[in-house]
Amino acid sequence: MPAEEEVLWAEKYRPKSLDEIVNQKDIVERLKKFVKEKNMPHLLFAGPPGTGKTTAALALVHDLYGDNYRQYFLELNASDERGIDVIRNKVKEFARTVAGGNVPFKVVLLDEADNMTADAQQALRRTMELYTETTRFILACNYLSKIIEPIQSRTALFRFYPLKKEDVVARLQYICKNESVECDQKALETIYDITQGDMRKSINILQASSAYGKVTVEAVYKVLGLAQPKEIREMINLALQGNFLKARDKLRELLVNYGLSGEDIVKQIHREITGNEINIPDDVKVLLVDYIGEVEFRIMEGADDEIQLSALLAKLAIYGNKYLKGK
Amino acid sequence: MPLQWFLKYRPKTLNEIENQEEAKKELVEWIESWLKGKPSYKAVLLYGPPGVGKTTLAEALARDYKLELFEMNASDSRNLNDIRSMAERASVTGTLFGIRGKLILLDEVDGLNTRADAGAIEAILELIEKTKYPVILTANDPWDPSLRPLRNAVKMIELKRLTKYPLKRILKKICEAEKIMCEDEALDFIIDQSEGDARYAINMLQGVAQGFGKVTLDAAKNLVKRKDRELDPFEALRNMFWAKYYWQAKSAVTDTQVDYELLMRWIDENIPYQYDNIEDVWRAYDALARASEFLSRAKTAGWDLLSYTFDLMGPGVSFASIEKKKPTYKPKWVKYQFPQYIQMLAKTKETRDALESLLTKLGSIIHTSKDKTLNDVIPLFVQYYKKYHEKIDKELELTEKEKEIISSLASFFQGEQGRELLKEETERGKEEGKKGRRTTYYRRKS
Repeated sequence: MPAEEEVLWAEKYRPKSLDEIVNQKDIVERLKKFVKEKNMPHLLFAGPPGTGKTTAALALVHDLYGDNYRQYFLELNASDERGIDVIRNKVKEFARTVAGGNVPFKVVLLDEADNMTADAQQALRRTMELYTETTRFILACNYLSKIIEPIQSRTALFRFYPLKKEDVVARLQYICKNESVECDQKALETIYDITQGDMRKSINILQASSAYGKVTVEAVYKVLGLAQPKEIREMINLALQGNFLKARDKLRELLVNYGLSGEDIVKQIHREITGNEINIPDDVKVLLVDYIGEVEFRIMEGADDEIQLSALLAKLAIYGNKYLKGK
Repeated sequence: MPLQWFLKYRPKTLNEIENQEEAKKELVEWIESWLKGKPSYKAVLLYGPPGVGKTTLAEALARDYKLELFEMNASDSRNLNDIRSMAERASVTGTLFGIRGKLILLDEVDGLNTRADAGAIEAILELIEKTKYPVILTANDPWDPSLRPLRNAVKMIELKRLTKYPLKRILKKICEAEKIMCEDEALDFIIDQSEGDARYAINMLQGVAQGFGKVTLDAAKNLVKRKDRELDPFEALRNMFWAKYYWQAKSAVTDTQVDYELLMRWIDENIPYQYDNIEDVWRAYDALARASEFLSRAKTAGWDLLSYTFDLMGPGVSFASIEKKKPTYKPKWVKYQFPQYIQMLAKTKETRDALESLLTKLGSIIHTSKDKTLNDVIPLFVQYYKKYHEKIDKELELTEKEKEIISSLASFFQGEQGRELLKEETERGKEEGKKGRRTTYYRRKS
């Protein structure tokens, strides 16, 4: 029975031990062996979002150490830590004390490891070797190809696959029943079709849909519609209509008031421009995308995002002026 | 760009140098003591404000006495080893025909950066002690504390600001040589503004002459601003946007009170006000964007690259305007704005901190990074927050500021249409609440 006090369903209905995980059978079997032997190598979990990588890691340490696993477990997220030095220091601090009890090591989970540069991964590799006596690493990533060879060869690889439709739908049904929420079978299937087996996203959509009453197909689409920020499209349209100053104001609002990063915004602009909602000739789209890519690269290099994106908006205004006049 | 006149008309001999009789006399006595083999001092320090002829004097002296000049200035790297190796080069290089000896010139020693040019002062002292050739140092400000050991080791020679008449003779000579009509009043005005700095006066003369074809008082008043090494941001913007020459645009962005990152924000803010044509706006923004990129490169790959930042944010933005190429071009007068973006950032600091802490709280509960939380979770979270807010507030220990953020994010994702829907929803919720439905969740809990 899930803990009552938890209110975010994605967390509340996360399996707490390996036994509760109903899918990813092969993976669970192998992990259970580690628990039995009280020993394990470094692990590498690779797979799309919402397929159970973090859940499997948490369940594994739970089963290894029991309910008090927190003191033997360090959770880091590569996207949140500023640079390899921070990660190294935290690991060093954590690995300083030896694990008590009957498991001779502690566990570090490093999530989104594929967000680290190759250089940072090299440094991570050395850190892993340095503390290998007392510490085991679990690295989680979406893209195995972004993990350097030396790390791949030093870890046991676990591939996670998107969950099956019947598993996702059954889980969502269970949640609805438990939360006393009415839901249409068709709506749950729609959620699966959209998320393609991403459990976390599925549960989040379910909880959002439940906020509008009965979970119907319509409610699901409404939730998804509302989850798309309109402001970026509005900004693009303002620029294309030649209203550069208004578009720039919108950009500043997005950066300052909504806390979006320059990279978030430029990626979203890329999606909008190449999508079907914005009416620009295809050959012009190609020219624009080339410049959008340049802007994203400059931002990644550390150039000021507000200036880069203002340049991009001016470019949009030029193209709007040339190709969309009178439309 | 045509050759700058102050280089073209730089005096070649001591005789041609105006106005520095005292300094010339002292310098000649000193160099002759060297040539007699009994130097009174091994080195002299020529000091005085910019544009009074320190470098010119040293170069003319070398030419008059047929000495080979070894020169090192602020743009060279000048740490201990650089100075040593230059001193060595000077003492071993063979003498060319007709040249009797050598003269070593270390220009702008007060520009030595104590960190980047570590050990430079020691190296100069060492050079002065060991040198077999006369050494000239120059400085704007000889009273800089870091130069104290040098002051004791050299003969100090002061150069004074140029007075009005010598300066006027110089400008008139140039007007004649360039065959340009120059009004007397215009020259007086330029001289008055230059505060005895010959380089500045000549630069201004060139600016007016090439900009207007002749030097009239009106034209001079139009272009020559009171000389000010440190321009405030408004003046810097005006000088940069209105510049007719590359060097004007560049010095506008280098000679300001504000640092380059802040100045970039000023330029950023005002590009669309200065330029009307959207293509000009884009070219200017693209140059500024490149400047910003070079700044980030300079921070990682080396500060030498900073120079490109100035080229792109000054001349790059200034010459983005196609209009400028037309002979009829007249700069547009604009009331420049303080960068709004900076004000926005300052005002919303608290909000951004609250968002950051909200993302951290949420992310740590559901085991996702802040980035992923913002992009994948928040759009859905804000939709169910309203329904479960009592429990969520409690579990996440949300502050008032964080709750405000959530409702502003909600309206962000909902847009106009969404806000309408939300209103409907709330109304319907009230109705259902009255009927006693929809409360199952809370009742089960309580």
